[in-house]
Amino acid sequence: MLCVLLAAWAAYANPGVESEHFEEDLVIRPLKDGRIGTRFSFTTTLEDVSPRNPESLDGDDDSQHYTLFPLTLGQILREYAITELHLSLNAGKWNYDTWGMPDEPGVATGGELWAWIADGASTSVDQRWQGLRNALAGLFCASLGAMDEQRTTSPSRTFRPEGSLPDWGHPHHLRHAFLPSEHVCTENLTPFYKLLPCKSFSGIATLLNPHRLFDADWHGMSIHVLWKEGVGIQVRLTFQAVLDPIRNSWNKKRDWSLKSLFGRRIEQSCPISSASQIRVSIPEDQPHLFTPQPSGVDGSYAVFNVSGGEWLFTDVEMRWHNETSFQNRFTDPRTATGKQNSVSALSVQRTLKSVNKYRGSLNVAVTNNRGDDIQTTYLETIPWFVQLFLHTLRIECNGTRRGDLLDDTTYTPPIPHSRPTLYQSTLTVPAGSTVYMTMDVTKAFLRYTEHPPDAQRGWDLPPAVFVPIKAGQKGSDELERIYTPILLVDLATPDFSMPYNVIIMSSTLITFIFGSVFNLLTRKFIVTKVEGNHKTDETGQLESASAGGKD
Amino acid sequence: MDINFAFGGLVAARLLLSFVPLPDQLKYDHLLSSPLTSNLRLHEGIYLFKNGVDPYSGGVFYQSPLYLSIFSTLLPLNRVSSPIIWTLIDAVSAYALVQTWRARSGVGKSNRDALLAAVYLFNPYLFLPSLAFSTSSISNMLHLLSIMFAARRKTSPALFCLAALVHVSLSSTLLVLPVIILLLGQPKSSLANPKPISIDFEKGRMIGLEFLAHFAVLTLTSTFISGGFQWLWQTWFVELSLPDLTPNPGLWWYFFTEMFDHFRPFFLVAFSVHLLIYIAPVCIKFQYDPLYAAFILTGVLGTVKAYPTLSDPGLFFTMISLFPEILPYLRYPIVTSLIHLHASLLLPLFNHLWLSQGTGNANFFYASTLVFGVANGAALMDCVWAGLRIALGETKEGYEVVQQ
Repeated sequence: MLCVLLAAWAAYANPGVESEHFEEDLVIRPLKDGRIGTRFSFTTTLEDVSPRNPESLDGDDDSQHYTLFPLTLGQILREYAITELHLSLNAGKWNYDTWGMPDEPGVATGGELWAWIADGASTSVDQRWQGLRNALAGLFCASLGAMDEQRTTSPSRTFRPEGSLPDWGHPHHLRHAFLPSEHVCTENLTPFYKLLPCKSFSGIATLLNPHRLFDADWHGMSIHVLWKEGVGIQVRLTFQAVLDPIRNSWNKKRDWSLKSLFGRRIEQSCPISSASQIRVSIPEDQPHLFTPQPSGVDGSYAVFNVSGGEWLFTDVEMRWHNETSFQNRFTDPRTATGKQNSVSALSVQRTLKSVNKYRGSLNVAVTNNRGDDIQTTYLETIPWFVQLFLHTLRIECNGTRRGDLLDDTTYTPPIPHSRPTLYQSTLTVPAGSTVYMTMDVTKAFLRYTEHPPDAQRGWDLPPAVFVPIKAGQKGSDELERIYTPILLVDLATPDFSMPYNVIIMSSTLITFIFGSVFNLLTRKFIVTKVEGNHKTDETGQLESASAGGKD
Repeated sequence: MDINFAFGGLVAARLLLSFVPLPDQLKYDHLLSSPLTSNLRLHEGIYLFKNGVDPYSGGVFYQSPLYLSIFSTLLPLNRVSSPIIWTLIDAVSAYALVQTWRARSGVGKSNRDALLAAVYLFNPYLFLPSLAFSTSSISNMLHLLSIMFAARRKTSPALFCLAALVHVSLSSTLLVLPVIILLLGQPKSSLANPKPISIDFEKGRMIGLEFLAHFAVLTLTSTFISGGFQWLWQTWFVELSLPDLTPNPGLWWYFFTEMFDHFRPFFLVAFSVHLLIYIAPVCIKFQYDPLYAAFILTGVLGTVKAYPTLSDPGLFFTMISLFPEILPYLRYPIVTSLIHLHASLLLPLFNHLWLSQGTGNANFFYASTLVFGVANGAALMDCVWAGLRIALGETKEGYEVVQQ
């Protein structure tokens, strides 16, 4: 009876306490080229809570009490009333052809930040977007503040909300920015640990060893915040890395264990995680051996539970026991027949050919590796200093011009020194063929203050994004975004040591012309007698005429 | 030789020249077309206009909405029509130059007509931009047409062409006053015997109002075509705010590339106002010969306007042929020609070294634009000198003309 009373009192006294729970998950996938794809995912759910309504931004916020939910992130979200947020910081080029689709779709090289923000506050969406950028820059020690209006677009056809958007009577707006020159490193991982309830002391997060992760062939972290109706607010922190066991193996075998991949074992589980598991993708038709035995099988994944009573092991090992050394059929010249090997439905190549420092052409080749037509949206968000000329767009497929393959184009022209280009269209790629797109571009000339300190290096252009609309034969994982590699553009540079000289010399010339013309126009013309080399003015003035005729 | 025959021959030769397969590079050449006159951007603007994207919503298209409507309906541009249209534009300009000469010299057909047409059609500073299909050819045509109509006292056509010229190229505002004075005065050469003129201010006001009316009609038409006032910011304001710093043979681009950010607005105002300062003194001094005032102001434009191309100084040099009487009084024509020759060799060379070859830096090209500026300035100063000096006639032995 007393217990019931106490429980009732507790429920009455703390009506606002939300229930929170935390789950962690590690997915390990052996890839076709012998590498190991790993994805850490840490999900904190704040149940039955909705994002802050922007209309309430003018007043004081309700007090927030979190036990598991990261407070610093929560404060930022409430301060700027952000409904949905996705931030990723990656290094390297995701190789779709050999690695397939990533477990987390956001694999753009460099930084990428996008958020759905509702209208209705006294501060504009762009002001709150700016505040969000700067706050996240501080939180993650990344130069996200550089994602200013020169890089911000709103490509709502390509970036759909992943959760639900609450209906507050005001529309939600998308703000998206790429920062291709930003790289992920240890200083970004430390704040990442701090957002985890168990930090990196226990559970799967123990394996986040910076020495191994930043040594990986591809690595990146991302933060996703979304609201799901009926569930609540979810924060998902993920880290992906593509590790190469063959590189560190003396006999070129692709056998791996947690210890060999990450240099650590899981010594203890995270006590507050409600679910904690390692899932290993089971390779088809290849003899392999897991140690210890998986605690279960979930579809094509072997599951190892790392939580509570089932905690029986510290390491997971996988061996291909029939294989003496790994033969990479992707680099073997006898079997590598280009795209036919690709595990991805679409292969995209994007290059910028430069004729000289002020013009070039953007070339995109999209190959359909499937047996039926694929429709895909195509997104370019190019900073203003590279100007696309849409009237020069040529689309070729199988040697003929096919303008009809491109449809439904939306285009926002760039504004110099400000807004980037936003180009979205729908492209149809016929089965088994390659579509070539070519467009002329010109490169702008920047003010000397707009160049970065190492101006000769050039500028990184953000990736293009393809989102297949109608997938081929495979399932829903094919509906993911495909990012092309980033490009480097070489802009003409002025001389950085010359501002004073240029101002002085140009001004002198203009003043000289101005002065001489006015001298000629205002002074009177006279005829004087020349005696030898000396002119005598007083006696020699025989006739004086005013050319202007006024005086 | 019959002038009609000669003129036809020249135009045919010019047409042939424009059909010669030329490298695409010409259209991108910074010396021949600026962002405000580029054919590539004109095509892009027309493409966007036809596809329902406002060409003025970004920094792509800086040209008048009139071009959009004309070239998307009446005169569609393609590989065949463009050379013909641009040759016709040049032919009309050459014709206007010849007619202006006839009005000025007071004679009918003469042998000089063919020479004048050739000087326009085969001035490399003029036909190269025209081969690049730069719209500066169109502003040159309007420029010469308004002067021609003014010289022949056709008030309304002159004012319409003038309004259209100012509409497509804002800095040509410099010509408004001399053309109005030309309409009030006479085109005959009075350089040798200057005398103050009396201006009929009442008539002048009517002419000014008519100019404003033409201008307002063009502005409203443009607003109607583009569906808003956004074009004002993307055409006229661009000449004042210089958002595009693409190199050109003028003096503004590198100055504002290297300018400190907090001084930029000040110098933009200073450079723009500086152009206007020339109008009053030149028009007062040459009030007895407004055609010459218009010529001098053309020279000022070719030297110090924003976004010049070779065709701006080219027009000035071609127009010298309207004033053969000043030639004996030029002080240093050979020096000016040599500086010009020097600059015209350096400009493309250093542009190539900096931007294509990568072996020279921006200062090389900047230096050649300075030399070009010196050459234009020298020609301008010499023409002002000669136009004033001619009034004193031949001097006797042992005497010379100086300024007090």
